[in-house]
Amino acid sequence: MSTSTIRRLILIGLLLAIGAALSLASPSFLKLDNLMTLLQDASQTGIVAIGFTLVLITAGIDMSIGAVIAVSAMVCVNFLTYTALPAALFIPLSLCVGLAVGAFNGFFITHFKLPEFIVTLASRGILAGLALIIAVKDTDGFVSNVYIQDPVYLGFGGTVGPFYIVTIVFVVLAFLTQGFIKRTRAGTNIYATGANPTAARLSGISTTRSIYGVYMFCGFCASLAAVFLSARMMTAMPEFGIGSEMDVIASVVIGGTPFTGGVGDIWGTVIGTLFLALIKNGILKLGISPYIQPIAIGGIIIVVVVVDVWYKDFAEKLARKAARRRLASAESRAAA
Amino acid sequence: MSETESQAGVLLECRGIDKSYNGPMVLSAVDFSIRRGEVHSLVGENGAGKSTLIKIITGVTGRNAGEMSFDGVAIGAEHSKKAAQDLGIAVIYQELSLIHGMSVAQNLFLTREPRYPLIGLINIARMNAEAQALIDRYGFSLKATDSVDSLSIAQRQTVEILKALNSMASLIIMDEPTSSLTSTESAQLFAIVQKLKAEGIAVLYISHRMEEVYRLSDRVTVLRDGRKVAILEKDQIHPEEIIRLMIGRALEAGESNRSMARKGGEVVLEVKGLCSQDRFQDVAFSLHKGEILGIGGLVGSGRTELVRAIYGIDPFDSGQVSFLGRDWKPGVSASIEGGIGFVPEERRLQGIMGGISITGNVGIPNLDSTGTLGFVSDRRELELARKAIGLLNIRPAEPSVPVGNLSGGNQQKVVVGKWLIRDLKLLIVDEPTVGIDIGAKEEMYQTFARLAAAGVSIILVSSDLPELTRLSDRIIVLRKGRIIREFAEGVVTEEDVLRASSGILEGGGR
Repeated sequence: MSTSTIRRLILIGLLLAIGAALSLASPSFLKLDNLMTLLQDASQTGIVAIGFTLVLITAGIDMSIGAVIAVSAMVCVNFLTYTALPAALFIPLSLCVGLAVGAFNGFFITHFKLPEFIVTLASRGILAGLALIIAVKDTDGFVSNVYIQDPVYLGFGGTVGPFYIVTIVFVVLAFLTQGFIKRTRAGTNIYATGANPTAARLSGISTTRSIYGVYMFCGFCASLAAVFLSARMMTAMPEFGIGSEMDVIASVVIGGTPFTGGVGDIWGTVIGTLFLALIKNGILKLGISPYIQPIAIGGIIIVVVVVDVWYKDFAEKLARKAARRRLASAESRAAA
Repeated sequence: MSETESQAGVLLECRGIDKSYNGPMVLSAVDFSIRRGEVHSLVGENGAGKSTLIKIITGVTGRNAGEMSFDGVAIGAEHSKKAAQDLGIAVIYQELSLIHGMSVAQNLFLTREPRYPLIGLINIARMNAEAQALIDRYGFSLKATDSVDSLSIAQRQTVEILKALNSMASLIIMDEPTSSLTSTESAQLFAIVQKLKAEGIAVLYISHRMEEVYRLSDRVTVLRDGRKVAILEKDQIHPEEIIRLMIGRALEAGESNRSMARKGGEVVLEVKGLCSQDRFQDVAFSLHKGEILGIGGLVGSGRTELVRAIYGIDPFDSGQVSFLGRDWKPGVSASIEGGIGFVPEERRLQGIMGGISITGNVGIPNLDSTGTLGFVSDRRELELARKAIGLLNIRPAEPSVPVGNLSGGNQQKVVVGKWLIRDLKLLIVDEPTVGIDIGAKEEMYQTFARLAAAGVSIILVSSDLPELTRLSDRIIVLRKGRIIREFAEGVVTEEDVLRASSGILEGGGR
């Protein structure tokens, strides 16, 4: 069994153990309502985390995701307030916001060879300000809360059977993305771009195209999450999503996709988002102050990374030992 | 072989290739050809132009003049990496170019993965089966589904070769392929080369190891100073002859011979039975006051690793070091305090801090003498920098200039200079004159001679044979981590050193 499989099994085991402990500690934890809400939370973060995983696989990072959520939500609100366009028309338009931001990021990263962190941090700033500027204002110039009444739009916050639509979309997106990165040439190119860009280029891969692709996809995912978020809240504010990078990064890191590139998959991220949502839900259910949440998340990131580094060293040491044994036995066979 | 046959057999033909990177000619009027299905070795000293010729053939860099054709088709000036690949020229890179985290099969089929028709998804089963078939066809013991991360260096090289075969290469270029292989693995590689030859694939083999060249080659092209000096046919290939042709120039100049003289006097450094797992074994030598000890050997022979261990950068497994008659536990701070200086191999990566001024660079190992209570005195640091600039004639003589802006030679002077202002007992220099101009080189040599005369002992690691033979009082040659030869007295020529380095111990009389 590979080390990453073992890691994943350990994580699933932990997930189940924490779930079992919570169901004992809090009787309302196992209620269908709570579980569906937990999944809704996980899906909300998870949709963005799927896009973010692809960025990490190319050894990049996207700090602009939170601000993309804010701007996309504001674009939707503007359409709702100032136009009579049906939701079915302007929602696809607002998804293009994410695509455009991704293309912007991709352009500066590939064309000017700027560090991914700097480019996306800059776009984060620009977009966060833009969200405030385009927010719907009242006559005194203050940002006014727009209550969403469009039934089609609100439908995105609804359920099909017991499941929230966002959960269903998350699962479908996870399957599609996993299939895409593992079973298509474009997906293979994304891995190659992150693992060894020079070798990828020597093999005839356009790393530029891979990088554009992942940032645009990541932006798209963030825009999609914005629609679900505002539909769920029945309103949208320019602060929506700002700061949610923390949850997304935590989910992906817990899921086992490293920052070094070339490694990672969507299933890990799915488990990571579930794990994080479970912790957050547990904190609520146990009646602990919600202010603990960010501290807990930060702590978990550190623990996971420390254990990962330690585990990697350990596995490598084992592998080296095994290799030496193999070599020794091969040599003794040759001598015999 | 008749004229027509040999014409038909030519795969790659280069005629009159000229190349200069703004300045001196790196290649001039080089003729070079490879026949279909032959193993052709390209040999020459460092800087003879081998790498440049390879870069031109593989489209990494352009040529200033000359004609090239592959398989009878002319290669124009617009030759590119991509074009070379499409023609069927593949390079097995020294730094391996596999994608980590992927399986052998994925690496073999990168960008050419077999897909299901219409839906475009990769047919993983078929890819694995085809990869395994390819592996089996050449009789390698690899599994297509294994991750390349779990393979040894030699196995990874095999994957690289398979990758070339899978892309229908008709010429495979191997640049120092055995430099990181064990002897068993090298033997496997030689078998692969023979197999490729049997398949009608030409191999261009580049190696410093003469016995490999001798053993594998059908023909050998010798380069010296950017010129082709000879093409040897199978029956003319002899290690002695190749070395003579490679060195030629220096021998004619008659300045490469120098008498070695064992210095007496106080022993500064003594090393006994030094071992470090797979880097070097059982190294023992002693170094006297004011002596320059040259360490020769091929790249990868363990020279750099040895001096790094002595200076205390990397740990070693067993053995003893004594310094100035006392037991010595190598460690960087202990070395600096004890009066050992170190000029590392990679100037840009390990020697200088490019963005920082000369003062800052010189000051770093000398903070003990510039600081009071943990604060650094700018004035004293500046004095030291001025001293270093004066001692070594650093240009521009302006302490505030960032070292990154200096020429290579002056950068190296800064690296050396920061040690000279200390009470130095031993200076270790690793490839001190790589990439610096002749004038600065000469100054560097004079500095070393002056230091030695003043009683500083020097360990000089160098691949530059004229430099090694000219400066050293004594030379030890490392091969595969062991001292294979010591030249302590009498006349030593570059040829002797090269012969020992390449593993030809005692050649017959010339």
